[in-house]
Amino acid sequence: MKPCLKGVIPWCAILGLAAAPYPVAAHHSTTMFDHAKSVRIAGVVKEVHWTNPHVAIFVFGTAKDGDEPTMWLMEMTSPGNLVRAGGWSRTAVKPGDKVTVDFSPLRDGKKGGALKKITLLATGQFYTADIRAQERPNLE
Amino acid sequence: MRYRLRAVLLASLALATLVRAAEPAKEKPVINPPPTAKDWADLAKLPDWSGVWNPKITDQDAQAKTNMPPWNPKAAALVAHQLAEEKAGRPPPLFVNCLPEAMPGWMLVTHNAMEILFTPGRVTMLGESDGNRLRRIYTDGRPHPDDPDPTFHGHSIGHWEGDTLVVDTVGVRPQAFIAISEAAGVPNNGDMRVIERIHLADKDILHVELEIIAPRVLTKPWKTTRIFFRQRARKFDIVEGVCLEGYHVEKTDKDGNAVFVYTPHNVGGNRIAPD
Repeated sequence: MKPCLKGVIPWCAILGLAAAPYPVAAHHSTTMFDHAKSVRIAGVVKEVHWTNPHVAIFVFGTAKDGDEPTMWLMEMTSPGNLVRAGGWSRTAVKPGDKVTVDFSPLRDGKKGGALKKITLLATGQFYTADIRAQERPNLE
Repeated sequence: MRYRLRAVLLASLALATLVRAAEPAKEKPVINPPPTAKDWADLAKLPDWSGVWNPKITDQDAQAKTNMPPWNPKAAALVAHQLAEEKAGRPPPLFVNCLPEAMPGWMLVTHNAMEILFTPGRVTMLGESDGNRLRRIYTDGRPHPDDPDPTFHGHSIGHWEGDTLVVDTVGVRPQAFIAISEAAGVPNNGDMRVIERIHLADKDILHVELEIIAPRVLTKPWKTTRIFFRQRARKFDIVEGVCLEGYHVEKTDKDGNAVFVYTPHNVGGNRIAPD
């Protein structure tokens, strides 16, 4: 596979973007992730852990063309919060799906981050995870 | 012979009476009466708190800066250290052991939704995540026990003042955090009392006004208001949220059984990311 699509995503690694509203975990602070940065990887979903308190997705892919594909860990908030805030479902993202993921990277340099947006390449459908976007009554 | 027998019988009776007198007086057990039709009907007179309530997290964030509890010097030093660690990218993992956020932590820093149920003599708060949170608030007029067993959510009694539920909570475990965020907080260390005034501030906005009296860590009572938004869309219905689930992955064992297998996490509560 060619994880980083030339032309579609000219620069797979986008650093230093202003922090968009960032996802939060359900029971701990997320400052181990650098929310001032945004990185994009492209790859294939290998595992989805749809569990409380944090859902996780493992993606096998690369941050930029020419890199050796490797495994990345994406952490996010709880299943309940993802369903409400980001339109997710347990099967929204499945192993085998080709995706791009935008995330705040871990500060310690390990291959992981806090997911901000995941896009399914087959359909263009994307999912986000900002629970601070829920702060008004009677949301639909 | 007959007299001797009578004497033995009398002596036995006297002894039995003495023994009975020496037993502690048995307290009559308190029986919770079954609710009457009127009790059920009276619930309809209470304000409508139905639906699901999700917290205003940005206000929690703001109050962590603008409404610091009046910590004693030792607690203030701990919180200053925790905030510095969080800023440096090493957030202190107050809740990653998956024990309940407890009282008053749940009300102060939760990022998860809750629902509130009325039944005769009781208000029940059910929260999502951290093992499915649960508070029982007795509104049947009972007092606190003299010496309640410490619990994560304490012993709560409540009464209605108009449309405001006033809740008094004692008997909270000393380990329960007075938390200002998920990364900063101090154990109450015992003798804490929490008074809440819960009411609708607007049609679909619930305010929980808390007064936290914790003489072992605060120099005076601390007041704060936490805000919740009503949701009625079905996707907001509370779902199961077992915290420890995330420390396991689903596998199939050698016998073909579906099992959970522990998966390691780092000190911050995240799964281990690849190098």
